[in-house]
Amino acid sequence: MTDATAPTPRPGLAARIEPYIGILGPMVMIALIALFMGVVEPARYFRVSNINQILLDAALYMPMAMAMTFVITQRGIDLSIGSVAALSAIIMAFLIKQYDFSAPVAFVICLVLGAGMGLINGLVITRFRVPDLIGTLAMDLVYRGFALVLAKGLVLARFPDLITEIGRGQSLIFLPTPVVIGLLTLVAGYVALRATHFGRYTIAIGSNPEATEMTGISVDRHRVYAYVLMGTMAALAGVMLTGKLNAVQATSAPYFNLHVIAAVVVGGTSLFGGRASMIGSLAGVLLLSMMINALVTLRIEFFWQSVASGVVIITSVAIYTWLQKKDRDGSGGIRAIFDNPDNRKLTMLAGLIIAALILLLGLGAATATAPAA
Amino acid sequence: MTTTDPIIEMRGITKRFGGVTALNDVDLRAYPGEVLAIVGDNGAGKSTLIKVLTGVYQPTSGTIHYEGKPLAMASHADAIENGIDAVYQNLAIADHLTPAENLFLGSELTRRIAGITFLDNRAMKEQATAVLKDRLGVQLKSMDVATESLSGGQRQAVAIARAVRHEDLKVLVMDEPTAALGPQETARTLKLIQTLKAQGLAVILISHALDDVFDVSDRIHVMRRGECAGVVRTAETTSEEVLGLLTGATKMAKEAML
Repeated sequence: MTDATAPTPRPGLAARIEPYIGILGPMVMIALIALFMGVVEPARYFRVSNINQILLDAALYMPMAMAMTFVITQRGIDLSIGSVAALSAIIMAFLIKQYDFSAPVAFVICLVLGAGMGLINGLVITRFRVPDLIGTLAMDLVYRGFALVLAKGLVLARFPDLITEIGRGQSLIFLPTPVVIGLLTLVAGYVALRATHFGRYTIAIGSNPEATEMTGISVDRHRVYAYVLMGTMAALAGVMLTGKLNAVQATSAPYFNLHVIAAVVVGGTSLFGGRASMIGSLAGVLLLSMMINALVTLRIEFFWQSVASGVVIITSVAIYTWLQKKDRDGSGGIRAIFDNPDNRKLTMLAGLIIAALILLLGLGAATATAPAA
Repeated sequence: MTTTDPIIEMRGITKRFGGVTALNDVDLRAYPGEVLAIVGDNGAGKSTLIKVLTGVYQPTSGTIHYEGKPLAMASHADAIENGIDAVYQNLAIADHLTPAENLFLGSELTRRIAGITFLDNRAMKEQATAVLKDRLGVQLKSMDVATESLSGGQRQAVAIARAVRHEDLKVLVMDEPTAALGPQETARTLKLIQTLKAQGLAVILISHALDDVFDVSDRIHVMRRGECAGVVRTAETTSEEVLGLLTGATKMAKEAML
């Protein structure tokens, strides 16, 4: 206020960088990965063909990360995107391969189908009041089930040029076509977030749903919009994946949901709603692709990818939560932790579990007999 | 004050919820350019009364007259359209949006580019700055920060600005505006109320803090057990009298109520 005389304390470092943390966080991690790989394996990691590969991998997740940014900002979540992508891509594949639909028509039908599945998700959540976590998890089973019913164990392969162009072509500019598509969706998402009613209400709903409802905004309708966008983008990703591999099957795209949620959350969009960062989502997608590519380049076994993704999610969410905590008092130290009786009890529980494990393993080893064979 | 006509008048308002009578035959008048305080214990019917006044509840019986004409409101949106708005205790603000974005939430300014409707963020920011400065005399350090980073009083100014942004606002209900504020912020909020009063608004102030009420109000409307226990001029009463009416120790004849 004009007559404000009370001196406002100079904001601390955390408070000053907080608005940019969504971009800074992943950027720092990207730089760290680049630095690490630059030292360990520069020749293979920074080859043009490998950079291209990283971008191609990232492109697949860009449209979905854009849409997921809206969904998560509204305090929602969509776990069904992998199945939406698989089911819509399989229907498109059948239309092309079995019913001789032209590729552009089948492609648009696929997107509309994705939108329809998103609409069903949105209605399940807003009309039937099924919590988004359970609702989309159950719909994930439904969509995956339909995909399996339709395709059985079939792998549908060899698609028209349009589909492979969307998945891995490079005929537009120097960047691969899917990267162009992915970046365009993110730009559109950025503009929508900043300068449309949908974007504004998305943040308002995530920030304070009751207040938003009170101003006369239809909260439920705008939540449905976000899920429709999510479904459409998942279907687009389904086409991109199909084109990239030039093949599709019912079990395609198994971990889309966690990968996309991880990218968005790593990018600084808050799981608690209201805080969105489209640039952060792009950075998050790039970060995950770089990390996975680094693991491949280092010839680390494929299965470690899952471990690494999980650790990155937990770490970034924990760091953001810590940064956003307003009542940090800094009275840290190991001793302070153990002065808290709750923490002492938890430590005892951890000790008990470890002791029990050691005891049981010892018991097992002592009573073990030689293997039969 | 009584030389002009009331801007809003509630006559014989009764509100029942099932078998419970929340309001029984309550009259209330508010005049332009005055602060009417409503005081009462918890459960005295203050909240129900203002919810009827702002269109959230519909009265079981009784009528509301606005500028002398009967007014039927089906919703809060009807009330806003008729120049009646409320600022609630929890402020109903989206913390992650900027002050300007909050001011225009639900009624954004737009411009069309190539046939697509985009939000006109710059125009909203300019107008929001103007409303805060010209109507409320409040200037925020930055209009570009999330509202959550503002002080309690500034957040309240944003909530009030959202109501007074409508040019035809005549009646502003404020529910416990000082309840969550420190002494400095309280003083500023009371000053804000005076500013609004000077602009010809009828401000209806619901408050538990009798000090604030005596500071800022012109008349005091005392609620007790769903009925109007008395209406007194602030300048002609004492806190003892108001407390007496509040607790039922003092009775006031209906004809004596102002």
